[in-house]
Amino acid sequence: MLEHVVNGLVLGGTYALVAMGLTIQYGIARIMNLSFGDTIIAACFATYVLFSAFSISPLLALLILVPAGYGFSLVIYKVIMKPLVARAPDEGALEVDSILVTFGLLFVLQGVLLTLFGGGYNSYSFLNTPVNLLGTVVAGNRLLALVLSLLIGAVLVLTLYRTRWGMVLRAVALAPQSAPLFGIDTDRAARTAFAIGGAMAATGGVVVSMFQTFTATAGVVFTMKALIVVILGGKGSVPGAIVAGLLLGLVETFVAAYIDPGLTLAAVYTVFLLLLLVRPNGIFGKA
Amino acid sequence: MTMKTSFAFALAGLALVVLALAPLVLPDYWTGVLLGMTGYVTLATAWALFSGPTRYVSLATVAFFGVGAYTVAVLNEVMPYPLVLLCAAGIGMTMALLVGLSTLRLAGVYFVIFTFGLAELVRQTVSWWEVNVTYTMGRYVFLPFEGRHIYWQLLVLAAVTLLISWAIGRSRIGLALKALGDDETVAAHAGVDVTRIKLLLFVISATIITLVGAIQAPRWTYIEPSIVFNPTVSFMTLIMALLGGAMRLWGPLVGAVPLFLLFEWLSVSFPDHFSIILGLLFILIVFVMPNGVLAKFDDLRKGNRA
Amino acid sequence: MSAQLKITNLHKRFGGLVAVKDVSFNLHPGEVVGLLGPNGSGKTTVMNMISGALTCDAGRVNVNGVDLTRMKPHRVAKHGVARTFQLVRPLPTLSVAENVLLSLAFGRKRHWGREARDLVEEKLAFVGLAGRGDEQVGNLTYIDQKRMEMARALASEPSLLLLDEWLAGLNPSELRIGIDLVQHLQGQGMTVLLVEHIMEAVRALCSRCIVMSAGEVIAEGPSAEVLDQPVVIKAYLGDDHA
Repeated sequence: MLEHVVNGLVLGGTYALVAMGLTIQYGIARIMNLSFGDTIIAACFATYVLFSAFSISPLLALLILVPAGYGFSLVIYKVIMKPLVARAPDEGALEVDSILVTFGLLFVLQGVLLTLFGGGYNSYSFLNTPVNLLGTVVAGNRLLALVLSLLIGAVLVLTLYRTRWGMVLRAVALAPQSAPLFGIDTDRAARTAFAIGGAMAATGGVVVSMFQTFTATAGVVFTMKALIVVILGGKGSVPGAIVAGLLLGLVETFVAAYIDPGLTLAAVYTVFLLLLLVRPNGIFGKA
Repeated sequence: MTMKTSFAFALAGLALVVLALAPLVLPDYWTGVLLGMTGYVTLATAWALFSGPTRYVSLATVAFFGVGAYTVAVLNEVMPYPLVLLCAAGIGMTMALLVGLSTLRLAGVYFVIFTFGLAELVRQTVSWWEVNVTYTMGRYVFLPFEGRHIYWQLLVLAAVTLLISWAIGRSRIGLALKALGDDETVAAHAGVDVTRIKLLLFVISATIITLVGAIQAPRWTYIEPSIVFNPTVSFMTLIMALLGGAMRLWGPLVGAVPLFLLFEWLSVSFPDHFSIILGLLFILIVFVMPNGVLAKFDDLRKGNRA
Repeated sequence: MSAQLKITNLHKRFGGLVAVKDVSFNLHPGEVVGLLGPNGSGKTTVMNMISGALTCDAGRVNVNGVDLTRMKPHRVAKHGVARTFQLVRPLPTLSVAENVLLSLAFGRKRHWGREARDLVEEKLAFVGLAGRGDEQVGNLTYIDQKRMEMARALASEPSLLLLDEWLAGLNPSELRIGIDLVQHLQGQGMTVLLVEHIMEAVRALCSRCIVMSAGEVIAEGPSAEVLDQPVVIKAYLGDDHA
């Protein structure tokens, strides 16, 4: 029982982490990014390569891949998203355009990964030592994943809520039309937010790869779960993403443990639909 | 019926006859190409039926397509073929009703997200059912159909779909659809039951898509969930409808024909890089023509007149 | 004479804010009544609860003896209530005629085909847009968009018309046209509830006024009397002017 709670929190922690990235992209940059999960998977593979070919520990890999994720997303935003933002007459049009264009990007990323690595399951063994925690045994890599998720999540929350720069980003999320009136460069804010989202995805990828097997085609499932967490938490709400992410991780782990591992996605969907019917704007969304 | 409409109908009828006779003279390979093309014309037209006017982008095409194909795989040895098709349509319809009832009342973005994962959900659920309940993984379809038989069935379905699309475009429902695509609030205050109309169109569209999957099932003699729930189907349908213009009757067809040929060529020439090329092409399409080729033509025409 | 519109104890809150508090009033058949009040006084919220755009927390809305409380907008429309919007909302992908046809096809009766086309032309002629059905709504001038919206509202063949600041934003000569149009409707026996800020229009059109402030009805009666009451002037202009 306790073991499942810990595992659920580990999984939920990573969901919360990646969902925070997605919610920042969607809430601030107004881009609904369907290729988000494939960015995560790309980071998984990169970690895998760094670890198995160059014996670089995943912790060190973070130092390489997080900036890489930031840079990659920045370029994507400048090349692909910026023209769409510029031409969109309203938020709805941008939403449709960004959904379509990132849907295309999803296939490109997935295609590249398939070409490079094939369609099989991949994993590597890192810190697979059992650790005693509160009377149950947990794998060391899982524990590390949880600690990393909490740490990075906390840094992000502090940045958003305690710095001037975070306030600028939140202002753009709340009132994109009025923010420029206060001298805020919304374009820069959007660009930065999208890139931070990419950095979070890379972080998520590194963390996930430490304790889970992954395939080149698994991006869709990650995007889906991150999206569900974002919606459940309320669009653009970071605390909401954390709560919803942990909830989803727990639900999934318990369903896998007590019902059937094959039904986790179905369970996630059920939670999603039930919550949407009760609270259409998410747990932390405004009514 | 005006002269122009009668003429268009006569022309469409003639084209249909020519297309129906084509397999009698064409080699098998080209019959296969025509078959695939007709399948995608039907998919794209059915997709546009709902998503065009409402602007609810559905990414769930393959969820319904796959359900249709899989239903045939499960039932083809149990009951006569027409009954199997009927069952497939019924299952697709029920699934569309459930999905529509739970998501169409919400904002469009929830619908998109839900449909995005629907295919994966259905695939995993079907796999789980097969492994845990029926203890089978993969099924065989034994139906005495050759390529041209499947093609003829698809041709009928395509014609019926276009006819439905035409009839809706001229009806009160078509007007309501255009109106609610513009402004749901205004449409509702004018007396349009917005949710019901969206649901109706979604169910019609999904049922046709399910039937396309069901009719095409005998083409694979061996079927398993990962084959029939291939996400590129949703993707290609979407591109075709968007390229041709999802708001127009002939739009999806105009998009589907050249793109299908292009995809066919690409998948033969670059089998390993197909999905990369597909993705890049799609990004390009969104950039160049967000409203589709036909809309571009209309713009050009208007530009000339002015 | 029985009431055409009967509102009893209508109540609405948004979070902690009480937007409409215990509002009751009646409209008799053929009456044109002004619903006045400063910005934020709850007029539009009341309109929205009558037309079904918002659901009330408590109270009842009754039109022609039918209880419309908490009914969806499309059903309210079918029971003979039509509305215009504070900011004009034409449907841009439809032509002028199709905008009007929509209400004919989905209003009280389900008109379609040739008969509906004739009715569209009739409604357009009534508002002064005769022969302009094929135009794109985007090409219409502001007053013509307002006319089109009026035609669209009338096309559902309502017995009660809700005009939400329909005359706002018009220049003096356009205002004259607008007032004439409403008077014409009045002559045909239409019951109208008018949310309006332009006093000239209110005095010209409304036999009776209901004044709201901070979500409550503070005055009600014949226009000439109500508009001069100190409590009304105070609500609009503040204490200094009372």
